Amino acid sequence: DALLGCHRSYRSRPTHGIGKFKYLLPKEVPKTRREKVQMKEISAGTEYQYGDVNIQMTSYDLCLVEHFAQYVHRLCNRLSIWVNESYAMPTKTNEVLFLEEKGSKMQLDAVLTTHQRVVQIRGLSSTFAPILLEIIQSSQPEGVHLLVKQHTEADFKSRLKSRPELEELRAQMS
Amino acid sequence: SAAARRPWRLFGAMCLLRLPRITQPLEKEEEEVSALMEQIELEKSHYSDYEIRKLEEEEQLKRRKESLYDEDEAHGKTVIMAQDLEEKWEQKFLRFKAAPRITDADKSNDRTSLNRKLDSNLMLLVKQKIGNQELWLLPQVEWQPGETLRSTAERAMAMFLGDHIQAKVLGNAPYGIYKYKFPRAIRTEDNMGAKVFFFKAFLQSSDLSQAELKADYLWVTKKELGDYLKPEYLKKVNRFLLD
Repeated sequence: DALLGCHRSYRSRPTHGIGKFKYLLPKEVPKTRREKVQMKEISAGTEYQYGDVNIQMTSYDLCLVEHFAQYVHRLCNRLSIWVNESYAMPTKTNEVLFLEEKGSKMQLDAVLTTHQRVVQIRGLSSTFAPILLEIIQSSQPEGVHLLVKQHTEADFKSRLKSRPELEELRAQMS
Repeated sequence: SAAARRPWRLFGAMCLLRLPRITQPLEKEEEEVSALMEQIELEKSHYSDYEIRKLEEEEQLKRRKESLYDEDEAHGKTVIMAQDLEEKWEQKFLRFKAAPRITDADKSNDRTSLNRKLDSNLMLLVKQKIGNQELWLLPQVEWQPGETLRSTAERAMAMFLGDHIQAKVLGNAPYGIYKYKFPRAIRTEDNMGAKVFFFKAFLQSSDLSQAELKADYLWVTKKELGDYLKPEYLKKVNRFLLD
């Protein structure tokens, strides 16, 4: 009955737009695209904490790398380490050409893709860092390269794509 | 007051680990699960480019045998057949020889070599003289005032293995501590006992060409530690060993 009897407040009715409220709320300014980068925190003393630490895993095998990145992420969650981000770098494709000369020249091609996953961690205490390192090192799968380093602006910039047209226009302006 | 500071002598000991070079073999359940998952994946997957090409060429061959109108097509197309490629790859694979997982040192159970047990951690044990006894211990050296405990441990390592070892010490904090009191005969006011602080390091290079100063050294896995170390010592050491 309630469904049959509801009056849709059409434009001719005086109750048109009765549920609107967004005009009452304060206006939201759309956020700018640039993100803040530097988050370094070194508190000296016995409690020495690292700032942002990147754990980078590279391999040719996609499934292995992804599963390992998942494992590392979950491990950090279990050990209550704050994980900033966990992202993937763009894949690099390498073509391997064999030039065999047995009478007729033959070219055997192989296409290798290199995948990279990064897990970013914040707030790692120096007493715990070596234990974590050891755990990750001993549970490395075959064929996966591990690299643990501190996060720098260069690392952040490497994720962004350069815009050649913008740079050309800027060069023209100045 | 009388017992103002219990005088303990401090030692720094280094636990040098050689990381495993090969993964450990899977357990029975793990193998079954992985075989099952592979089968499921295979049944669910689609054909790849290479497999489609192979199927097409097989069909072409069949058609050529049955009827003869394919002759014009065949010469214009691929010179290399997918079957040939596969045979070539198989031959290459047969020529490839993987390194053996169980090395000679394993077979002879030579505990002084580093090539043994490539799938587990190996630790350095040295025979040292403490008091009157010769004991198997992790290499340790007494702490001198004015240096950090970590440098003591590094000194202990350098003493037994020579100066230029590429070992990476993990952090400044010790991993474990073992304290013991001297027997009453030696105990004096100033020397109640000793505390040994353990540090861990990873061996980077597997090449130990430098001469070993003390002849009695062993590279042992965690399970074999029990053969050499004393029970109390072993308990404390086992606490910080993974694997």
